[in-house]
Amino acid sequence: MRFLLLFLFFPLFLSAQNRATLSGYVKDASNGEALIGATIYIKSMSTGATTNVYGFYSLTLDPGDYEVSFSYIGYGTQVKTIALTGNVRFDLELIPEGTQLEEVVVSSEKEEQGAKSLAMSVNRLDIKTITRIPAFLGEPDLIKSLQQLPGVSTVGEGASGFNVRGGSVGQNLILLDEATVYNSSHLLGFFSVFNPDAVKDTKLYKGAIPAQFGGRIASLLDVRMKEGNNKKHEVNGGIGTIFSRAAVEGPLFDGKGSFIVAGRRSYADILARPFVDLLQDGAALNFYDLTGKANYNINERNRIFISGYTGRDKFFFDKNQGFSWGNNTGTIRWNKIFNDRLFANFSGVFSKYDYSLQFGENERDNFRWNSSVRNLTFKPSFSYFVNTNNEISFGAEVNYYSFEPANAYGTSNGTRIDVSLPEKYNLETAFYLGNSQKVSRAIAIEYGLRFSHFVGLGAGTQFIYNDTVPGVRRTPINERTFAQGEKMISYQNLEPRFSIKGQLSEQSSLKASYTRMAQYVHLISNTTASNPLDVWTPSTNNIKPELGDQYALGYFHDFGKDNMFEFSVEAYYRATQNQIDYIDGADLLINQFLEGDLLSGIGRAYGLEFYLQKKVGKFTGWATYTVARTELKVNGINKGEWYAARYDQTHNLKLSGFYDINKRWSAAANFTFVSGTPATFPTSRFVMQGILIPYNAYDSRNNVRLPAYHRLDVSFRLEGKTVKKNGNARKNSDYWVFGVYNLYGRRNPFSIYFTQGDDRVAAGSPINSEARQLAIIGTFIPSVSYNFKF
Amino acid sequence: MNRIVVNCLIAVAVVFSSCEDVINPQLERAEPVLVVDAWINNLPQTQTIKLTRTQPYFQNILPPTVTGATVTITDEDGVVFSFVENNPGEYEWVPAGNNVFGTIGMNYTLTVQTNGETFLASARMGRVPVVDSITFFVQKGNQFIDDLYQAEFWAKDPEESGDAYWIKFFKNGVLQNKPSEIITAYDAGFTKGGNFSGVEFIPPIRRAINPFDTDANDRLLSPYQVGDSVSVQIHAVTEAAFNFLNEVSIQTNRPGGFGELFSTPLANVSTNIRNANPTGSKAIGFFNVGAVSGLGRKFNSLDDLTEN
Repeated sequence: MRFLLLFLFFPLFLSAQNRATLSGYVKDASNGEALIGATIYIKSMSTGATTNVYGFYSLTLDPGDYEVSFSYIGYGTQVKTIALTGNVRFDLELIPEGTQLEEVVVSSEKEEQGAKSLAMSVNRLDIKTITRIPAFLGEPDLIKSLQQLPGVSTVGEGASGFNVRGGSVGQNLILLDEATVYNSSHLLGFFSVFNPDAVKDTKLYKGAIPAQFGGRIASLLDVRMKEGNNKKHEVNGGIGTIFSRAAVEGPLFDGKGSFIVAGRRSYADILARPFVDLLQDGAALNFYDLTGKANYNINERNRIFISGYTGRDKFFFDKNQGFSWGNNTGTIRWNKIFNDRLFANFSGVFSKYDYSLQFGENERDNFRWNSSVRNLTFKPSFSYFVNTNNEISFGAEVNYYSFEPANAYGTSNGTRIDVSLPEKYNLETAFYLGNSQKVSRAIAIEYGLRFSHFVGLGAGTQFIYNDTVPGVRRTPINERTFAQGEKMISYQNLEPRFSIKGQLSEQSSLKASYTRMAQYVHLISNTTASNPLDVWTPSTNNIKPELGDQYALGYFHDFGKDNMFEFSVEAYYRATQNQIDYIDGADLLINQFLEGDLLSGIGRAYGLEFYLQKKVGKFTGWATYTVARTELKVNGINKGEWYAARYDQTHNLKLSGFYDINKRWSAAANFTFVSGTPATFPTSRFVMQGILIPYNAYDSRNNVRLPAYHRLDVSFRLEGKTVKKNGNARKNSDYWVFGVYNLYGRRNPFSIYFTQGDDRVAAGSPINSEARQLAIIGTFIPSVSYNFKF
Repeated sequence: MNRIVVNCLIAVAVVFSSCEDVINPQLERAEPVLVVDAWINNLPQTQTIKLTRTQPYFQNILPPTVTGATVTITDEDGVVFSFVENNPGEYEWVPAGNNVFGTIGMNYTLTVQTNGETFLASARMGRVPVVDSITFFVQKGNQFIDDLYQAEFWAKDPEESGDAYWIKFFKNGVLQNKPSEIITAYDAGFTKGGNFSGVEFIPPIRRAINPFDTDANDRLLSPYQVGDSVSVQIHAVTEAAFNFLNEVSIQTNRPGGFGELFSTPLANVSTNIRNANPTGSKAIGFFNVGAVSGLGRKFNSLDDLTEN
């Protein structure tokens, strides 16, 4: 199969004879940061290219003299005359325009605007935009900002992660400089692990995911860190309500390299200490993270990057009791330009997520539990710029996983018992080949194929479970043990990807795509919001890989002066297989027979996403509206009939606006309206052994809807003075942000739950029952933060 | 295990403030269903099986009773125990003299005949370890919390895995029966997969026999004061009944607040009551037969406290 494909692509390699290549890097003149998605355009030929994630471009043309324009939003366009007699290497730095011209950019691609670009179902969020969106407690947050985009939702405040086009939290692949981030949250879900000071670029693929990526069936969030300023040293920082942050960046080796180190720490515990005696010696209640990156230009053709992240949340009641969780990632990358048309990147990645829980004040009685998931990845990827019409990408990805569900022991009155579960080892390998092709002036296509292969490796034990009534715990009836390194199970999938753009006019286009994705590792979570102790588990003989097929169709239209407005509407349909669900009363933690508590089903999600953005002017912003449905069908739940997923939201409206009042003051607001998410209500009640138990006579799941959720947030930003009293320009810059989250203090329902009253009931007396509606944030929350740069 | 974790997460989340309102949503109507409440033990006292029907969720009155039924338990040797309706819906068997119900290891079948239908359930009478002792300890308070005097029971799960228990406790002779006070154990731990067998019950179980209540000002009260008495009973339950009790705990112990972030969807608890006619009407509830052990102790003075 793979050979066949190579054969198909082969003519493209041949077609590129006797031509010359213009290639190089495009960077920011102020700090040397590579510009991702900058446009290189040759008007006389009506052709061009965009820079890749490392800022590299390559254009192969007939020899000749060309006027080439280099442009990037927010930067001055430069036009250069280049004599292309042979291959030319041309690196360029673009100069950023004044801050007043800064734009809010949330677009499908920056310069090649909405309608013109081939990309669909992709949203890019500029870090400048993230810092302007009014934020909870005034802390700009990447994941919360994503939730302002069409097709992205969450089950509520405090919930970790996000849901994309009807996918669950564990179906998103989150990459930080190519390293998988297994849990993107700090402090449950109130903040995310990404430090905005260290983030350069964020791209969310909701569909039409290139063949280069795989492993999750709903979406890909590709977060790229800043490289660091290679011109001068710079310090950024901020002091906020809940945490403070600082970042240092600067040149290395005379500007041949650069670095950035950024850190944050919360101080809830420090602030609380005077008031809370409960925080004894060793008590902690905080989170921190540290993000760093360095790069070095070996020569024109070789560049290396090293980046890493470490972060941890700690909740300790005293030095022996509490729990903590955190991610650690490390990435080494080598950019190699083999020749002017073959760009390669080799990445070696390490990622680990772990948590630990410990109880017991003394040695006679205690409990210790650690759990982790680790992976090592090697990922060579190649871009071959065949000619102006074809860019082939190919490569591989090898992932070695080890899952440690429980390394745990308990001591009861001096007797110690090991309750650890065996580690699981897996190897996931993928090869991909894709081509982005301009077929004609009106039609462009991108197609690719990914072949993925997953192996479970010994040592280990496989359990075979009995068949029983669906929805009831299955018990193991047989088991099989495997030796070290022995193959326990293997799965493989072909994942075709295809997208096409038809340009209807200069301003409008139609796009369509099909994406198949396979997912071999699964987040096991049966709670409303996913929590830090949720377990990642690999596919086994009992857990089949999840599969997702997504079809999307979109219409894109740019209009207004200088195409200042961008409009799009996209429809999607996603069908999934082997979705994981859970029996009632499932025990998911430290359970060696976990698989007996899992159910498997299918899912369908469909929706229509509208998006309108105004990109320039004193007033900028966007409006999105999504109407959607997400349903699951699982044998053993809801009598085996379709039911709405917990994160199903019929109507989802988001408005984000930014207004520059004057040179120093600017205002921002966002408004969210989401129709109620599903919930399960009882019909009846009964009493058993003096306890009141709710009962649903129809055995239904998610049979009602919660009331709608809506919220308005506002913020004002005050830029510090740019000149000193004596009239000289200030070297430093700073700004204040004043914000209010949930301005009109709505008690938005997170859930409605049913319970007997809190009072004790005397035997033989009737028991009261009631329904309670819970709001996570019950009031408006003001905040202030101070941010500086010098 | 899940419960401990949720409690921890709640501790994390109290950093923020949430709020709750009591509401009155409209619920779907449903036909009443027969409920069988049959938990039989070997204590030397009257054994009662209650037959009721489900009622609308917000109907805050005693549930309707099912009268005139025939209720019997038959052991594997064919011995029949007849339960007589002495109060409406309450069917009783009174042991003669010093006798108690049942034999450990014996299988029992419950038969309920009502409205021309027959409902069946079966259970095997399980064993229990003795309660060796009860001790008291204090968790020192501060300006926000009083000193909390708490009890701890000591019992050792027998060798060989496979025992399940429901642990009940009484304060001054009154059963403490809030949903948050459902204590279950599989061997000496929380779950079957936990592999705690043949050891002392683990500390969170040993120390679960403490009722936590608050006063009118929401101030946490000490579970016990000098002069109070505590007694604990370990009831053997079947594995199915153990699962049932855990489901009941999940469905009824709703602390609210941030705990809701980690709640699971409302779902019906399981039942082991089946209609002899598979196409007949439905019944819910549970039948369990188990041995019981117990011990009581009075908290006479602060001298009773042991090192925590």
